[in-house]
Amino acid sequence: MTEYKMFEGCTIGNRIPFIEASSRKVLDKIGVQTSQAPFTCCPDPTGVKSFDNMAWLALGARNLCLAEAEGKPIISLCNGCTNTLRGVQHQLKHDSLKKEKVNAELAKIGKEFKGTIDVVHFVDVLKENLDKVKAGITKQMSDLKVACHPGCHYMRPAEWMESDDPMRPKNLKEIVAATGANVIDYDELALCCGNAVAGPYPEHGDAILKQKMDSIKKAGANVIVVNCPACFQRFDTSQRDLSKKFEAEYNIPVLYLTELIALAMGVSSEEIGMKNHRVRRNTAIENL
Amino acid sequence: MTLPLGIDFEFRKLIMDVHIGSDKIKYCYQCNRCTDNCPVANVANPFYREVTNWFDPRLIVLGTLLGYKDIVMALAGSKSALIPWGCTVCDTCDTVCPQAIEVTEIITLAKNVTTGAGLAPDNVVAQAKAVFESAKAIPSQPAIERRREQLGLPAVAAPDVNEVQTLLKNIGVDKKL
Repeated sequence: MTEYKMFEGCTIGNRIPFIEASSRKVLDKIGVQTSQAPFTCCPDPTGVKSFDNMAWLALGARNLCLAEAEGKPIISLCNGCTNTLRGVQHQLKHDSLKKEKVNAELAKIGKEFKGTIDVVHFVDVLKENLDKVKAGITKQMSDLKVACHPGCHYMRPAEWMESDDPMRPKNLKEIVAATGANVIDYDELALCCGNAVAGPYPEHGDAILKQKMDSIKKAGANVIVVNCPACFQRFDTSQRDLSKKFEAEYNIPVLYLTELIALAMGVSSEEIGMKNHRVRRNTAIENL
Repeated sequence: MTLPLGIDFEFRKLIMDVHIGSDKIKYCYQCNRCTDNCPVANVANPFYREVTNWFDPRLIVLGTLLGYKDIVMALAGSKSALIPWGCTVCDTCDTVCPQAIEVTEIITLAKNVTTGAGLAPDNVVAQAKAVFESAKAIPSQPAIERRREQLGLPAVAAPDVNEVQTLLKNIGVDKKL
């Protein structure tokens, strides 16, 4: 059995650790083993990469070196971290000039990027083990009408991620359906949550989120399921402000995919710290 | 060197080097599919909406492809300028481009050039500072450490901050912070 190096990332590890709690529960239940490593920030493919691409490559490669030293693949709980680690790996494997430059810097701290390990997103691990996920489910989630939001960096750029159809993603829907929940189709499935532009330009970020939320509301969903902590925070913390700003009602609860599966496996919401969500649970979730 | 036309060959070479295989950007025929599918252009482009401050990936590709650094940098020349900082890094343009041009990588380079000039948005600089100082974009906090414990989670493995600082200093990141 493969043991993965757990890459929880900065947002989950140091801000919303309850997501790590449900993730570890689900991985335990399907028999996926993990261990820790002193990883740094991945670093952020929307932040540090925009600041300095060379720093992004070098820090990302250094993280890959830590897993290479143990010869173990990385499992990431976050779209951004997966995107960075797979993107750095892709660029260094296919661009010898970049690889030479990065390795010259890594040599000064006694490291070398070789490109010998794989980086996987937890969604892909769940999909690969879907029979075990299904076998662990004790409670059908049939009251839920789920709008799936896989987020940009789970499947784009397709050349780096090699995970799903970049504009018509289906993996998240398939896993959600396995819990007995009803997957609701909506027009803006592949649309960004607007997180990165919301930093410098909140008005544009809000306009994009509104477009997304309107599409989700129109489709009649009573919960949003995500697999990225940045998207999770965006949906969970911005709906109240969005309601005030546009004088409309946006209060659809958000579940991380691993929270949905943990609940379906009979884990209690207390055990996985769901009280830390901002958007109040609606009756559909209370009744679970 | 900069010719009277304002073509900057150094800048053009930087842009060419963004792509693996180097010259893909030459094959842009300005079809506008990147801008048509850009979620930010959709909410910040006068063609689609009444806005004065606009975002247009196609124009960034054109300006960089021709080596018009002055044009690109004039647009990017103020702090947090919408071009290039309006890009939300969703990678939709890369996906829909019929010529497989990595538009987001080009915009990333434009962003990188502005950070050297101290024009990056505050939140981006703050994150880079946090990574330099603590090796994490979000440093560890006692309240969250307690919450991790309550949830039965192991402590986050502490990264080697000194080694990260050495690496980033050698690249020259500290001078841009």
